[in-house]
Amino acid sequence: MAGGAVILAVLVYLVYAGVSQSVVYFVTPAELLAAPAPGKTYRLGGMVQPGSLTWDPRSLDLRFILSDGKATVPVRHKGTAPDLFAEGRGAVVEGAWSGEGYFKATTILAKHSEEYKAPHDTAEPGYKELLKTLRGSEAKP
Amino acid sequence: MIIGAPEIGYALTVVGLFLALWGGAAAVTGARSGRLAFVASAERAAVAVWALVTACMLLLIHAFLTFDFSIRYVAANTNRGTPFYYRITALWGALEGSIILWAWMLGLFTFIVVLRYRRRQPELYPWVLSVMLGVLAFFLLVMAVPAPPFERLTPVPADGRGLNPLLEDSGMITHPVALYLGFTGFTVPFAFALAALAVGRTGEEWITITRRWTIIAWYFLSLGLLIGGWWSYHVLGWGGYWAWDPVENAAFMPWLTGTAFLHSVMIQERRRMLKLWNLTLIILTFGLTLFGTFLTRSGIIGSVHAFTQGSIGVFFLSFLAVVLLGSFSLLAWRVDRLKGQGELDSIVSRESVFLLNNVFLVAASFTVFFGTIFPLLTEAARGTKVSVGAPFFNLVNIPLFLSLLFLMGVGPLIAWRRASAESLRRNFLKPVLAGLVAAAVLRALGVANMLVLTCMALVVFVTGTMVLDFWRAVRARRRTGHGWAAATGGLLVRQNRRYGGFVVHLGIMVVALGVAGSQAWSHSTEATLAKGESVELAGYRVRFDGLAASEESNHFKVTGTFSVAHGTRPVDVLQPAKKFYPREQTPIAYVDYRLGLIEDVYLVLGDFARDGTQATVKVQVNRMVSWLWLGGLVLTLGAALAVLPDSRRPA
Amino acid sequence: MSRGVLRWLIPLAVLPVLALLAYGFWIDPRGEVRSPQIGKPAAPFALTTFGGTPLSLEALRGRVVVVNFWASWCVPACYEEAPVLEQAWRDYKERGVTLVGINIQDKDEAARKFMSQFQFSFPNAMDTSGKVAVDYGVYGVPETFFIDKKGRIRERKVGAVSDETIRGHVERLLAEPS
Repeated sequence: MAGGAVILAVLVYLVYAGVSQSVVYFVTPAELLAAPAPGKTYRLGGMVQPGSLTWDPRSLDLRFILSDGKATVPVRHKGTAPDLFAEGRGAVVEGAWSGEGYFKATTILAKHSEEYKAPHDTAEPGYKELLKTLRGSEAKP
Repeated sequence: MIIGAPEIGYALTVVGLFLALWGGAAAVTGARSGRLAFVASAERAAVAVWALVTACMLLLIHAFLTFDFSIRYVAANTNRGTPFYYRITALWGALEGSIILWAWMLGLFTFIVVLRYRRRQPELYPWVLSVMLGVLAFFLLVMAVPAPPFERLTPVPADGRGLNPLLEDSGMITHPVALYLGFTGFTVPFAFALAALAVGRTGEEWITITRRWTIIAWYFLSLGLLIGGWWSYHVLGWGGYWAWDPVENAAFMPWLTGTAFLHSVMIQERRRMLKLWNLTLIILTFGLTLFGTFLTRSGIIGSVHAFTQGSIGVFFLSFLAVVLLGSFSLLAWRVDRLKGQGELDSIVSRESVFLLNNVFLVAASFTVFFGTIFPLLTEAARGTKVSVGAPFFNLVNIPLFLSLLFLMGVGPLIAWRRASAESLRRNFLKPVLAGLVAAAVLRALGVANMLVLTCMALVVFVTGTMVLDFWRAVRARRRTGHGWAAATGGLLVRQNRRYGGFVVHLGIMVVALGVAGSQAWSHSTEATLAKGESVELAGYRVRFDGLAASEESNHFKVTGTFSVAHGTRPVDVLQPAKKFYPREQTPIAYVDYRLGLIEDVYLVLGDFARDGTQATVKVQVNRMVSWLWLGGLVLTLGAALAVLPDSRRPA
Repeated sequence: MSRGVLRWLIPLAVLPVLALLAYGFWIDPRGEVRSPQIGKPAAPFALTTFGGTPLSLEALRGRVVVVNFWASWCVPACYEEAPVLEQAWRDYKERGVTLVGINIQDKDEAARKFMSQFQFSFPNAMDTSGKVAVDYGVYGVPETFFIDKKGRIRERKVGAVSDETIRGHVERLLAEPS
């Protein structure tokens, strides 16, 4: 039974340590800017400000601004955004405050919703045009 | 009033619900009063209910195949462009249909219970039937009220919405089926457990009867989890197979307690110990299968998979409450009869090892449970929103799983009651040495990651114990005059439970190696390439060759062509794509990959230039992921071996 | 764990967990991002209804305006909310509320068919240029915006809107001073 108690104690410790280490707080831009602690991992949720999205394919630099109506936070991410990400929509990013005026996002979280339909984005070219522009750029065997 | 498919289906559901309720009540009445006419009536009700659910399912499939958009579920999940086979599997593509699937499997298993046990287990049988019909009644209630598959849509739209494109995949055809076979399979041992409590026959009987059910249910649950990982890996485009997401955790928890149950019943069969524990475990396992569905469909835990909130959560939680409170009350009532007849003689014994196995597995399940509901806890306690991610689950579970690996090697060989130093040496010295040697060799070969090293050394140890044991047994049979083939074959067949277990453990180890290797040795990178440009990763060179656009039956596709070479040798041409479904929120990435035993090359197309001159591609070289799927194959063989009918024992 | 009262601790032990899970229903778990448009003035629009009459947001200042974005191909959500919308219109149009339907990404014929199927009697216009949808940040259908008497967006509902939701918001906004 003493062995059982030891195992239990180790387990409780592991669970406690694990949770305190890896709990990630969810904040809005206003909350983050109130007390930005560099290096601490957060999940930041807001709306991607229309017009703020820049993407450099060469350097894989993705930059945008998240807003909650009260405050805005510039975000930088290395790599393409997931499929559900776009301007004017909500997004949740996970990362840390860089201490240099922007939030460094390691992951952009996408959410799939069952209920709700989207028209194809008017900003994207129509499919017919895409067929035309891509014809002739196919790989030669 | 129009009478069409929706109305007929709904009527069948309601009739089925009342029949199930009647049958459950009749079975209990028959059991308590001894009047067999009631039991017979319950039986007929059970068969009728299954027939009705089957009819509902066929009705719905027919509606899918004939584009009957007057049924809301059909309109929401298919459209005129959906390919034929997906129109059938769309049946379980969303909530309402998956409830029908669950109900149908339950009905099937109830039918099998009727056929198999009506004569063999006359005392337990009525109670078992009653429990199964009670659970079936619940699912029919869900089909009738919060999640009706037969709701009518007025006016009838010209075209439907379409299946979620992520579900147009072979993984999603099979994953729910396997998973649900596992969930519903555990209902039978649960029913027998309650029957045993009700009747007062709390010995080993209910365990022996349901042994095969437990193994088969466990197997399908394992398979379902692995297929889920496979789907996540090859469809979602993040290159991983497990994210500790609440939806995944929901299915993992019953697997953990189910595995514990699978092992601890062996102790009860042999030593008549742990009666209370086993009953608790099966109640928890069954409860966790309900909890899993509750968690994923009620919307109370935020997840990447945002399922709709509705009243279904309330139904599941209420039923879960009834099940848990009822079962544990039954248990408490009979607690006097659950005193074990054996005792733990020594820490160094098989009983002790199995007990440890259980402790670790239940601890893992508790950890996963705790981590999954922790956001709810903090919100209740402090009002803050948090999320608990992979680091927590990995931190606590990895030591537990490694310990379990170790126990896998010790358990089957260590002696019952008390293992002497001599027997320990005989059984374990060589395997332990082999494990240590393997660790040293691997270290020398450059394996620096401690976790991988430990995992591999443990695998060598466990395999060593199994080989040693099997070899000795074969040698013993050879001495009595059998040839090699007869000795091995005969041994496998006669002791199929034991060696089936060995093969299953082997399968688990293959999966464990795959997990360890893929976590430690995988690489990824992302680059934007102009036509003809390449990017290098882990010895592979990936060259962008061009983009092409095409129209499919229900979507529009942009495909990138990439030539992959290893060193100078061309290896493959991969074509990751972006699929644009007209009714979906964003394009869906289509991953292309080349699977290999040692490594997979995995490409995801990101952004691309409109004129096709450049494309951004994410490249991953994932090591040993295929071992997970291979492990699944080995598991299948092991489970099949373990459930072979015992040729010598009477049926 | 033996005889007497102690044994009943076993079933009672599950109650706290069940209570915690039940609590989960009372809170919104998804960390839903509040739209930053809430409280901001609604973007003006000037369209022509399917009947040929002009429709502008400016002209509706002083009334509570409910703007609903829909499409004929939006199945099943738009089908489910259509009767709700029409009924709400009939109940509230004399009380200072205007319901406006904006049809996006659709064909004229299909849209008219949808409207006649559900017997829409409230003003509907097609957003031919797509500008209105972009101004409102609409990225799917259906979406419904509740605009107060001063012309500010007060609520945004994504997905099919229910009777209670419409009436709840409308009553609240009606009660406010102009």
